[in-house]
Amino acid sequence: MLIQNKYHRYLNRTGWLFIIPALLFYAVFMLYPIFSSLFLVTQKWKGLTREFVGLGNFVRMFHDMIFWKALGHNFLFMFIQIPLMVFLAMIIAVVLNQGIRRFRGVFRTIYFLPCVTSLVAYSVLFRILLQTNGLLNNLMINLRIIPESIAWLNDPFWAKMTIIIALTWRWTGYNMVFFLVGLQNIDGEIYEAAEVDGASKKRQFLSITLPLLVPVILFSLVTSTNGTMQLFDEPNILTNEGGPANATMTAALYIYRQAFVLNSDFGYASALSYVMVLIAGVLAFIQIKVLGDKKS
Amino acid sequence: MKKTGLICLLVFLLVPTLYTFANGEDEGAATGELTVWCWDPNFNGYSMKQAAAVYTAQNPDATINVVDIPENIEAKIEAGLQAGGVGLPDISLFQDFIIEKFLQNYPGSFVDLKAEGIDYSQFAPYKVGPMSEGESTYGIPFDTGATGFFLRTEVLEAAGLAPEDFYEGMTWAEVIALGEVVKAKTGKALIAYDNTSFDFLRIMVQSTGEQFFRADGTVDYDTPAIKKSLGILKEMNEKGLLYMAEGWNNWIAAYNGVDDVDAAGFINGVWIVGTLKSQPENAGKWMVAPTPRLDGFEKGRNASNNGGSSWYVFSTTKAKTLAVDFLQNTWAGTSPEALDFYNRILKDAGAMGTFLPSREGSNYQAEDAFFYGSQPVFKDFSNWMAQVPVLKYTPNYSAMRIALNNAMQLMYAGDLASVDDVVAAAATEYSQISGN
Repeated sequence: MLIQNKYHRYLNRTGWLFIIPALLFYAVFMLYPIFSSLFLVTQKWKGLTREFVGLGNFVRMFHDMIFWKALGHNFLFMFIQIPLMVFLAMIIAVVLNQGIRRFRGVFRTIYFLPCVTSLVAYSVLFRILLQTNGLLNNLMINLRIIPESIAWLNDPFWAKMTIIIALTWRWTGYNMVFFLVGLQNIDGEIYEAAEVDGASKKRQFLSITLPLLVPVILFSLVTSTNGTMQLFDEPNILTNEGGPANATMTAALYIYRQAFVLNSDFGYASALSYVMVLIAGVLAFIQIKVLGDKKS
Repeated sequence: MKKTGLICLLVFLLVPTLYTFANGEDEGAATGELTVWCWDPNFNGYSMKQAAAVYTAQNPDATINVVDIPENIEAKIEAGLQAGGVGLPDISLFQDFIIEKFLQNYPGSFVDLKAEGIDYSQFAPYKVGPMSEGESTYGIPFDTGATGFFLRTEVLEAAGLAPEDFYEGMTWAEVIALGEVVKAKTGKALIAYDNTSFDFLRIMVQSTGEQFFRADGTVDYDTPAIKKSLGILKEMNEKGLLYMAEGWNNWIAAYNGVDDVDAAGFINGVWIVGTLKSQPENAGKWMVAPTPRLDGFEKGRNASNNGGSSWYVFSTTKAKTLAVDFLQNTWAGTSPEALDFYNRILKDAGAMGTFLPSREGSNYQAEDAFFYGSQPVFKDFSNWMAQVPVLKYTPNYSAMRIALNNAMQLMYAGDLASVDDVVAAAATEYSQISGN
């Protein structure tokens, strides 16, 4: 009994020793910032100057329509762009997996390339392509698809479309890879059996492929949701700082601008970040519920 | 006894060594290393490198590294200041319109150069104002952004106009009339306008001698100067006299082509000359007319300013003596070498300094073969600069210009119908993003 206790204590101590480095990093880089930010949100904190304002930052937030509009854009991109992208990724994956035989590897690489290209490089290229007198407009006018140039970057509606197109271009290939893996995990015998029973290709897709891909679909939706909530780069570079006139402003970009572009308002930026954390928490809760149920 | 003796000996030996270590970087004024941040290798970076060359020629033990920070330099500096100076250079260039925000929000972060002995009576007064707080002055003024109306004479010719049609004292109403001629005859817009930029409106408002901010620092959009300027922009846009460019590069491409251009010209600061000269094929085509003025403003001039920046020393620098000595003997220096350097950067980079003794340089008077009729452009800019009305910035200048520029974009998109709507929308957004 005594020996066993000693042994357990020894194990315990070694165990603690093993996790101490991780714990230290966690405390320094996670716990400390979280607790200090609780203090920061009560401050009018500009640069190196501080002044206590209590809940003043939150009162200001409720009157800040630009922030709520920006948050609305996050949800807009989430509800329109993500379903579109996941659908496209799935179709491309199915076609690559079953539809064509030759050049499969080449196509896979082509679809995957956008998400490993440099963000700045692609944003700058897109800016040039999408100018009012740019290549895309000229091409579409010459092919008589559109009667006159579209202001992809200058019009509030089309600027949003530009962001959706750019995000889809960049991330479809990334999600396609998950679908390819999912497809390869589906047993070929199921299709053989279905074929023997006389099921058409369409029927096979709807009754076999789609249901068996549900976990992958959910996974794609969840990871993309997180990405869209943190959307920053595209509106910052591609549509020039959330322009035109805040039409593509997102919450993360607005928080950054409060701290680093406008007037060094780090206290207010921290307060806004808390709202983002709250929303991310709610979304995570929903995701865990959805994913957890499917597993059991 | 022995021990004490030993310790005494050790202390005796160590103290001078420690003393040298502690003062290692600051010992001689002319030894050590400086890092300078700026953002345009062809303009301010080039100029700073020339200054560094002048200084290191006389002080071979000093090393000066000029680093180009092409994007987000202010955010980088802000992060460094928050971290107590980690990762910051010794000297950095700041836009004049942004420095008041840093001086107010980061007290004690910049070296008071007036206290270090810089003579500010030798610099253009309008540059010294924004960098001063009470008895202290923090920066070394770099360049002026005195503006001119740059025009392609071959386009004017095609429209049947002569360079003399754009003259000293001309108003915007006259410019619009000429623009309509250009539009009718050539189909081209008169002015290339960067839709993402606030510069154009700023140039118009500053030329009236009026302000964006009241004396107490609160914003005031509902003024005759701003509303009249907006009205002119709106009218020009509706008449097709503005070529709406999407961002900086698109804007340059609109007027800097060799064979064809989208617009006959543009208005901006003297520092754009370097960009124009990057197309040597365009030699002889460009002329620079005075900035048009708005009618009915007592303090109004045919002169304005856009851009302009200055050098600042961070107080976290380990080589303060060297940094001050360097700036004092180059940018604020009256030695023949320093004045010659000012004269050279004017010709090579179009960098027009604001150090008054440098005005005597030969290039300030010289004819410039790149311009139509060998116009002595720098002489003209120098005259216009002397008339530029002073603009008040305040720490909220960024919020002010972002809010107003967003409202203007809505005006061009047709979402805001009247100038009063634009002004009201700007005021609403300003109060939300600035919290004031």
